[in-house]
Amino acid sequence: MRGLAIALKRKQWEPLAFASPSLLLIALVILFPLVYSFYLSLQNFDFSVGPEYEYVGGKNYVEALFKDQRFLGSVWNTAVIIAPSLALELLLGLGIALLLSRATRGRPIITALLAIPAMVSPVMAAMAWRMMFGVKFGAINNLGRQLGLLDVYFDWFATPWLSIVSVVLVEVWHNTPFMMLVLLAGIQSIPQELYDAAKADGARPWQSFWSITLPLLKFTMAVGVMIRLIDLTKLFGLIFVLTYGGPGSSTETVAFNTYLVGFKDFRMSYAAALSYVIVGGVLVLTLVFLWMQRIREAKAG
Amino acid sequence: MAIAIERPRIVARRARRYRGRRGLGHVLTYLGLLAALVFFLGPFFWIVTTSLKGNEDFFAFPPVWIPAEPSLAHYVALFTRSSGARYFTNSLVISSLSMIAALVVSLPTAYAIARWRFGGGLLSVSLLVLRMLPSIALIIPIYIMYKMLGLTNSYLGLVALYTVVYIPFAVWLLVGFLRDFPIEIEEAAMIDGCSRLRALVQVVVPIIAPGMAVVALFAFIATWNEFLFAIVLTGIETKTMMVLVTSFTSGGTDMFYGEASASVVLGVLPAFAVAFMLQRYLVKGLALGGTKG
Repeated sequence: MRGLAIALKRKQWEPLAFASPSLLLIALVILFPLVYSFYLSLQNFDFSVGPEYEYVGGKNYVEALFKDQRFLGSVWNTAVIIAPSLALELLLGLGIALLLSRATRGRPIITALLAIPAMVSPVMAAMAWRMMFGVKFGAINNLGRQLGLLDVYFDWFATPWLSIVSVVLVEVWHNTPFMMLVLLAGIQSIPQELYDAAKADGARPWQSFWSITLPLLKFTMAVGVMIRLIDLTKLFGLIFVLTYGGPGSSTETVAFNTYLVGFKDFRMSYAAALSYVIVGGVLVLTLVFLWMQRIREAKAG
Repeated sequence: MAIAIERPRIVARRARRYRGRRGLGHVLTYLGLLAALVFFLGPFFWIVTTSLKGNEDFFAFPPVWIPAEPSLAHYVALFTRSSGARYFTNSLVISSLSMIAALVVSLPTAYAIARWRFGGGLLSVSLLVLRMLPSIALIIPIYIMYKMLGLTNSYLGLVALYTVVYIPFAVWLLVGFLRDFPIEIEEAAMIDGCSRLRALVQVVVPIIAPGMAVVALFAFIATWNEFLFAIVLTGIETKTMMVLVTSFTSGGTDMFYGEASASVVLGVLPAFAVAFMLQRYLVKGLALGGTKG
């Protein structure tokens, strides 16, 4: 017995020793900066003014949440970009996943090809599309002109409204493949026997879609949408390349707005406060996501 | 690579199931998929052909969709005039180093969680929450700290940041692979007098190598694709491809297409490779934010 106790004791340091390198690094490079950032958000540190700063309490937060029209506008812009993007990504992703699940030949290769946009960086996606949208030499205007549909000088970023449409189009192109992959995995996990039974009972294809596929895919869809929603709150690279927030500040997202405050205006304290407001929002979304996972696991188990 | 194979048995079973009802539905299915392929791959086609066009082809009408005389002139210009070679190398070096460092640091942690349930559920959940953390919240304090430490415009600063930011994701995936690993093999090695660490390095690692390759490839692509940290922290010498590409946007909506498209082709190359190699793991990896740095 004593030997066992000693053995246990001797082994107790092992898990900690194995885990500590990465935990230390996380503490140093992520947690400490986050604490420092919170401290900063309560000061009035501004690089463009000088290195001195003083404690101002919650002033930055009050400004962000109640006075800063540009930031509140960026919250609105982010929502306006997110809503149609999510809806389109879900619908298109579901459609393509259904098609893929019916494809008998070449499914792996077609799936891999369709997945590529989700693997490229938002910056590269936006850059490719900027060249597609080019006013005189872009593919879209040229194709439209060749088919006699478009005036060659059509500017896809001329108005705020049109810019949002263009951003949503690129975002949908970029991330629909992700939704497609998630939903395809979901569809393939539905037992074929259910469809066979429905068919034997005389159900039409659309009936089995409504009463078997959709209900069983509900949680997969919810998880996919949740992940995209959390990612979309971070929308930055796409905006940086496609519109740089313009025209005016009509396509500025929360992340892009905070970037401008921090690295163009150099109002570091205020940017830190803004980033904490964003973290708060994302944290709420993440908790909802975890809570949904738990429900899913409870239902599955 | 072996990990690219989709479970062939299931595919074969499904194929058998559907055989014999090739009718109009079949044709429509493939027409729909063709339309999807055109939409999702069209931009890549445009970028590749554009990068191979001669200068006069940009202005031609009707537009030149496939250049008659493809030339690599824009790639040469990108590599010499715009220091593309340097920035491409930067991206390669920074991504490779971060990938290796993240693996080395994450593996023991993942092992501790998989074997000893270290930290209970709390640690796993905290790692997931860290994974969801917006980069914008981190870059502001990191920028100020790096400024004080003189780490901006340095490879070390970037690699350290990418490595650590990637740990939560790497640990999550590795825990999954380690749980599938039969504990008996390891115990046998330890009875033979191996220490834990040696058992991990010499027995476990060779067997879960394919899983580690998956994590490594996701780490590589995530670092390769990362933009916010790169644009803030890099200077003239340490720019990555992502930062280089944005420098071509200054020409308005009709910028200089040649070098811009060439740099996009080089920038998306790893994504193409990885999409095929990681097919089976794409859902899991992307869901956990594997490609976003």
